[in-house]
Amino acid sequence: MSGKAWYSVAVSKIWLFFNSLKLTLGVLLTLAIVSILGTVVEQNKTAGEYISAYGEGWTNFIMAASLNDLFHSWWFIALLGALSLNIIVCTFERFPPKWKSLLNHKPDNFDSKIIDRFTTKQTFSLDQSASAVRERVFKAFRKKRFAIIEVPSSNGEHHFYAWKGRIGRLGSDATHISLLLILLGAIVGSFAGYKGFDAVFVGTEMSVKNEDFKLRLDKFWIDYYDTGQIRQYNSVLTVVEDGRDVLTKQIWVNEPLYYKGVRFYQSSYGNAWNRLAEAQLQVKNTKSGLVGEPFKISWKTDKPEPIPGTKYSARLIGYSADFAYDERSNTVFSKSAEANNPAVNLEIYDGEKVISAPWVFLNYPGIFPAIPGADEDLLFVGYRGIMYSGLSINKDPGTNIVWAGTIVMGIGFILAFFVYYRRIWIVVKETGNSSEVRIGGMINKNQFAFDKDMKDVTDLIKSE
Amino acid sequence: MILSLVFFTFSFVFYFLSALLYIGHWVFKKKWIGQFATAMSFVALMSTTMILIARAGESGHAPFSNLFESMVLFIWATNAGYLLMEFKHKIKAIGAVVMTIETLAMLAASMLPYRFKSVEPLNPALQSKWHWMQDLLTPFGLEKYAIGWLDFHVFATFIGYAGFAISFGLSILYLVKYMTESKGGKSFMDVLPESKVIDELSYRAIAWGFPFLGVGIVSGAVWANYAWGTYWSWDPKETWSLITWFIYAAYLHARVTRGWKGKRAAYLSIAGFLAVLFLYWGVSFILPGLHAYA
Repeated sequence: MSGKAWYSVAVSKIWLFFNSLKLTLGVLLTLAIVSILGTVVEQNKTAGEYISAYGEGWTNFIMAASLNDLFHSWWFIALLGALSLNIIVCTFERFPPKWKSLLNHKPDNFDSKIIDRFTTKQTFSLDQSASAVRERVFKAFRKKRFAIIEVPSSNGEHHFYAWKGRIGRLGSDATHISLLLILLGAIVGSFAGYKGFDAVFVGTEMSVKNEDFKLRLDKFWIDYYDTGQIRQYNSVLTVVEDGRDVLTKQIWVNEPLYYKGVRFYQSSYGNAWNRLAEAQLQVKNTKSGLVGEPFKISWKTDKPEPIPGTKYSARLIGYSADFAYDERSNTVFSKSAEANNPAVNLEIYDGEKVISAPWVFLNYPGIFPAIPGADEDLLFVGYRGIMYSGLSINKDPGTNIVWAGTIVMGIGFILAFFVYYRRIWIVVKETGNSSEVRIGGMINKNQFAFDKDMKDVTDLIKSE
Repeated sequence: MILSLVFFTFSFVFYFLSALLYIGHWVFKKKWIGQFATAMSFVALMSTTMILIARAGESGHAPFSNLFESMVLFIWATNAGYLLMEFKHKIKAIGAVVMTIETLAMLAASMLPYRFKSVEPLNPALQSKWHWMQDLLTPFGLEKYAIGWLDFHVFATFIGYAGFAISFGLSILYLVKYMTESKGGKSFMDVLPESKVIDELSYRAIAWGFPFLGVGIVSGAVWANYAWGTYWSWDPKETWSLITWFIYAAYLHARVTRGWKGKRAAYLSIAGFLAVLFLYWGVSFILPGLHAYA
């Protein structure tokens, strides 16, 4: 412990650990391999499904290692965390000096011997004075859109340094930062966002959790192709805020409604299982067996509607598509959304007074008399349902950060893969009547482009 | 469906012929065979373009919606990428490998079961169009051909795949060439450029493929966000695309900063392309998920 506190040694050791490209490669390949597991083992199934697929021993292992929800397991997150730390530390190490040299670009120690070290180099002579060659060099590099400076030298030689595509060096940093932004967006989304689902019936309003506006479904319909295949599901939604309609939009799959940070997606549809537009009934005289003309009764009218041919009137107050009765709680519910056993709940009035509230069944006419003590019974013969539109509701404030990240990534890609950083050192030495030109340099990627640059530039210098 | 199948059949023949011609050029070392080979692959490219156009006409939407159409797109992009490379670097010998891959891909596409080939109207989730493009095309009555995030996603991804396929072919060539070089003496492989050049070309192909796969993944996320309200759901296709991307990211980091060139780079590139193959076909046929259609 050469005079350093243990924690500063520890910090610098951790720093060194994360400032390593071996770690990057290790984490990338580990992520690749464990992700394969996450596609082979189906995610988020029940324990029973795993047992039937893999047996009990493997299921225990799958559960213990969180392979059933691998991408949200602590160790997968830890791997992503290690990659992020790796990126952060590497950026801190590499970016500041790079930025500095971008702002104040100078060749690092111009030594004419440097040229010998490059693999791409050339030496040739021109029958001209050094100052004439100097002009040619400047002209040639400027024509190829290089930046070029003359570097002072003490030994009578002329030294030049040319460069191009400096900004390309930032490509890797931009790409790395973009990955951090995307991860940040994902984190924000998982903490501050929520996902939900709700069904809204045609003509009704639905309140939105945690928000002070409501949503009304004005219309729902399905478009078909000529072949009968479904083309698109559509809903017209209106945002209602403080009792006023503020926005109306038609949504379909791929076209959500966006309002105040919340998105509403067309996700499913169906016939309502607990309400109707109207029911069709008939009066049957139990004595004579005569059945009257069908009549309609609308959903939850303010006043009871008269039942033709009788002194009674009725309101339609309930519907169950797949009637079921729970004895313990004494409630009626629908076993499914399918119309397997439709039943309507009616309120029967004698004048102002409610005398009964029977359930009347479509499939079982007359099993319970609708009007106690009367000669008339009611038959439920038909109905017009209400469609509902199933909406996925999603609030994810992280999404915008993710999109910002993708834009940065695009810029990073362009800089990293399509802008090449080239540096060329040139030494011109006058020897009697002629001048010797030595030229050499390097590129950070794409050797082919550089070979072409070197050829073009030397051709220009020789020919001008 | 007739016209696109006619073009498909013709393209199949053209790819087969250009593979033969490139191999002939390799074996007999005659310049005119090489020129003929390049011309034939250009004809094949045109013919492949016509398959896509005819498909668009027949289906009434951009031709990127099932496995068959995506195969044609892959073949198209690989051919275009290869021709660009040949034009830029004046190296013909690797055409034999690339055109053989193309012929095999044509064969695979032709053997797809009918349900992957038939012209289908788009299901609701696949209908994503850019409004600005629809507005632009409406005056000409072509609005149904407007493309959207989905088409962009498929297109970018397949340019990526094409780059990886070319790099894969080059990596195999590199390994063969490297072996013969280290043995010394004259060999059948002499017509190939130096192994160093093949290695660099293979890297260049990945340097194209990697950003395009990245853009493909991201645009897919944008579309998923419109269609399902979530930009990432760890569906097997998504996960495998990320796995592939990780492998090539490792390749680039190893190469640029640790000087992994030659053999090790070639093995990584081959591993990467195997992942691409699984991502493209394996996931569609073996693993269930959202990308079941292609």
